[in-house]
Amino acid sequence: MYSRREKRLALLGFLGPAVLTLLAIGIYPLLFAFWNSLHRFILPRVPREGTPWVGIDNYVAVLTDPSFQQSLGRTFSFLLTVLPIQIVLGLGIALLLHQPGASLLRVLTRLSLVVPMATTYAVVGLIGRLLFNGDFGVVNWFLGLFGIAGVNWLAHPTFAFAAVAAMDVWQWSPFCALVFLAGLTMVPVEVEEAAQLETTRWTAILRHVQLPFLIPGLTAILILRTADILKMFDSVFTMTRGGPGAATELISVYIQRIGFRVFDQGMASAQAVIILVLTIILSRLYIRVIYREIEQ
Amino acid sequence: MAYRKELGVAFAALATALLAGGGASAWTLEEAAKPYAGTEINVVFLDRPGYRAAIKMLPDFEKKTGIKVKYDIVPYENSRERQVLDFTAKGDLDIALVDLVWMGEFAESGWIVPMDTFLKDPKLADPNFDKPDLFPLLLEAFGSWNGVAYGVPFDNYSGLLFYNRCMLDKAGFKEPPKTWTELKDVFGPKLTSGDQQAFALQSRRGETQSADSFMRVLWPFGGSLLDDKFRSNLMSQESQAGLQFRQDLMKYMPQGIVDYDHAEAVNALAQGKVAMITEWSAFYGTLVDPASSKIIDCLEVAPEPAGPAGRKPALGGFSLAVTSQASDKEKAAAWLFIQWVTAKENAKTYVENGGVSGRQSVYKDPQIAAKYKFVKPMVESWQAGVPHFRPRFPEWPEISEVIGEWGTKIMLGTASLQEGSKEIGQRMESVLERAGYYKPGAKLLQ
Repeated sequence: MYSRREKRLALLGFLGPAVLTLLAIGIYPLLFAFWNSLHRFILPRVPREGTPWVGIDNYVAVLTDPSFQQSLGRTFSFLLTVLPIQIVLGLGIALLLHQPGASLLRVLTRLSLVVPMATTYAVVGLIGRLLFNGDFGVVNWFLGLFGIAGVNWLAHPTFAFAAVAAMDVWQWSPFCALVFLAGLTMVPVEVEEAAQLETTRWTAILRHVQLPFLIPGLTAILILRTADILKMFDSVFTMTRGGPGAATELISVYIQRIGFRVFDQGMASAQAVIILVLTIILSRLYIRVIYREIEQ
Repeated sequence: MAYRKELGVAFAALATALLAGGGASAWTLEEAAKPYAGTEINVVFLDRPGYRAAIKMLPDFEKKTGIKVKYDIVPYENSRERQVLDFTAKGDLDIALVDLVWMGEFAESGWIVPMDTFLKDPKLADPNFDKPDLFPLLLEAFGSWNGVAYGVPFDNYSGLLFYNRCMLDKAGFKEPPKTWTELKDVFGPKLTSGDQQAFALQSRRGETQSADSFMRVLWPFGGSLLDDKFRSNLMSQESQAGLQFRQDLMKYMPQGIVDYDHAEAVNALAQGKVAMITEWSAFYGTLVDPASSKIIDCLEVAPEPAGPAGRKPALGGFSLAVTSQASDKEKAAAWLFIQWVTAKENAKTYVENGGVSGRQSVYKDPQIAAKYKFVKPMVESWQAGVPHFRPRFPEWPEISEVIGEWGTKIMLGTASLQEGSKEIGQRMESVLERAGYYKPGAKLLQ
C-alpha cells in the first residue's frame, strides 16, 4: 500500500503542472486585468503619466456609459436570437442522426458537422461578407431565383444583424447537434425500446425518456454559448466591424475599440471584469434552474 | 629650386584638396553600410502597391549593404495596434510606419527619432538626399510634428477624381465636374439610372468613414472639425452644409454605400457600375490592371472637385521613421534603408514598380508624366492643401471611432444630421477635455 505521503506526492505531481499552468495563463492575467481596472492606464501615455490609482472611477464610467449599455443590450438580443435557433436546429439534427438506418450517411453527416466549428472565426466573418455581399453575394442570387429582390445585407442595420446571426447559427448549430447526440446515445437502449412499445408519439418519448439525458448537455450548451457570445469578436469584426452605425457592435467589439484603438487599458479591463462577473452569474443561474442529475 | 619646391607644395595641396573633396562626394551606400553588414532591421508593411514596389527593390539594397530588411505585412486596421504594442513593450521594430494621423502620437510619445540626427552625421547622410526635393506639403503633413521632421514620406496619397470617360461621353459630358455642386446637380441625375450610379463615396465604418467620407465633405464647404479653440465646429453653417451635401449626394450613390470600403468603391468603378469615385492616388494601379478592371481604356484622372471654399482634396500617406527603441547599430541601418528607398535616384524605379513617390523631381521626367495619368492631377493637388486634413494629435484614433459610428448613423438616417453632429461634437470635446486641451496654456497642435 501507498503511504499518505506518497499519495499526496502523486496528487501534487498530477495536479501541480495543471494548476501552475492555470495560474500563469488564467489567474495571473485576470488579476492583472483587475489591477488595471483600478488604475488610469492609457498605454501610449504611460511613459509620460504613469498609471495613477483611480479606485472605482473606471467602473463608474463604464456603468454610466450609454454606448456600453447599448452594446451590452445588443449582445443579449443577439444571444436571445441565436441561441433558441441553435438549440432547436441542433436538437432536430441530433434526433435525425439518432434514427436507425443509412449508417454511412450518418457517419458522413456527423463528420461534416465538425467543419463549421473547426473554421476560424475570422474566416467565418469573411465568408459571411462574401455570402451577403449586396452585388454578387450568393444569398441575393439565391433570393433572385425565387423572384425576390436582393437586399443590401451589410449596409442595413437590421439585415446586418440578421446576417451576423445567420453566420453564428451556421457555425454553432452543429456543436449543439453533437452535444445532444452524445446525450441521446446515453439513453439505455432497453428503456427507449420499452417506451417505443408504449407509444408511437416521438414527442412523448422525447419529453419523458430522452430529455432527462439531454439536460446536462443543454446546460453545457447554455453556459458555453453564453460565454462565447459575450466574447464573440473576430467574426463580427471581419464581417461588419460593428457597423453599419452600431448595429452589430457586440460588447467584445466595443471593448476591443476601447482597449486597442483608444488604448485605454484601464477602462477596457473594467469592462472585461464586468463581463466576467455577468458570465459567472448567468452560469450559476443556468445550473441552478436547468441542471438536473440524471436519475437512472 | 625654390620655384620647384613651391610647385611641389602647390601640387600636394591640390592633391589633398582633390582627395578631401573626392572623399565627400564619394559617399557611397556600400561604404556607409559596411559597419552594419549583417544587421537585421524590422518594419511593418501594408498590403498595398507602395509596399509591394519597395519589396521588389529590397534585394538590390540587401546586396549592396548586407543589411537584412525583415518586413511583416499587416492589415491597415491592425497596423497601429501592432506598432503601439511593440513600442510600449520595447519590442523589435526598428522602423516606424507613420500614418499622417499617428504623427502626433508617435512623436509626443518619443517613439521616433528626428531625421536631423542622421542628416547631420556625415557617415550616414547621403549628400544627395536633397530634403527640399520632397513635396513640402507631404513632409509637413506626415513627416513632421511641431516643426520637427521625423519621417520621410514613403507611401503618398492624394485624393483624386477617377472617372469613366466613356460613361461621361455617353451622357454628353466632355469634361469631368469641376465642383462638388456640379457633380451632384448636373452629373448626378444624368449618370444615374437603373443599375448604374453617378458616384460612390466609400463610407464604411472605421477610418474609411471618418477620413474618406466625413472629412472629405467638411473642408471644401468651408467647414472643419475643430475651431481654433479646439471646440467642435460641426454645428457651424459651413460644416452642416458640407454634411448635408453628402446626404443629398447619396441619391446618386449605390444603395449599400455605408458598407463600401476602398475595395468596393474601386471595384464599382472598375466594373463599370459607377461613373466616378474620389479615391487615393495609390489605387491607380488596381484600376489599370486588366485582372481587376474592365475600364482601362475609359479611365481618366482629374483633381478632386472644388467646393465653395476651394479645392481641398483628401490628403494622406505614410512616412518611415527610425524608432528610438532600436540599438545604435539598428538605427543607422534603418536610416540607410529609409534614405535609400526614398532617394531621388530610386524614385523612378519605385514609381515604375507601382509606388507613388514623394519626390518632386521624378514627376518632371516626361516619360513618367506621359505614362501615368494620375501624375498631373496629383502634383497639382500637392501644391496646396490642408496638412491637418485630419487632426494629427494623439487623440485622433479615439475621435475617429466616434465619427465612424455616428457618421454612418447620419448617413443611414438612424440619427438626424443635427443630432449626429451634436453627438460627435460632445463626445469629441470630452475626449479633448480629458486629454487636457482646455486647460489654460495648453498647446493646441493638430
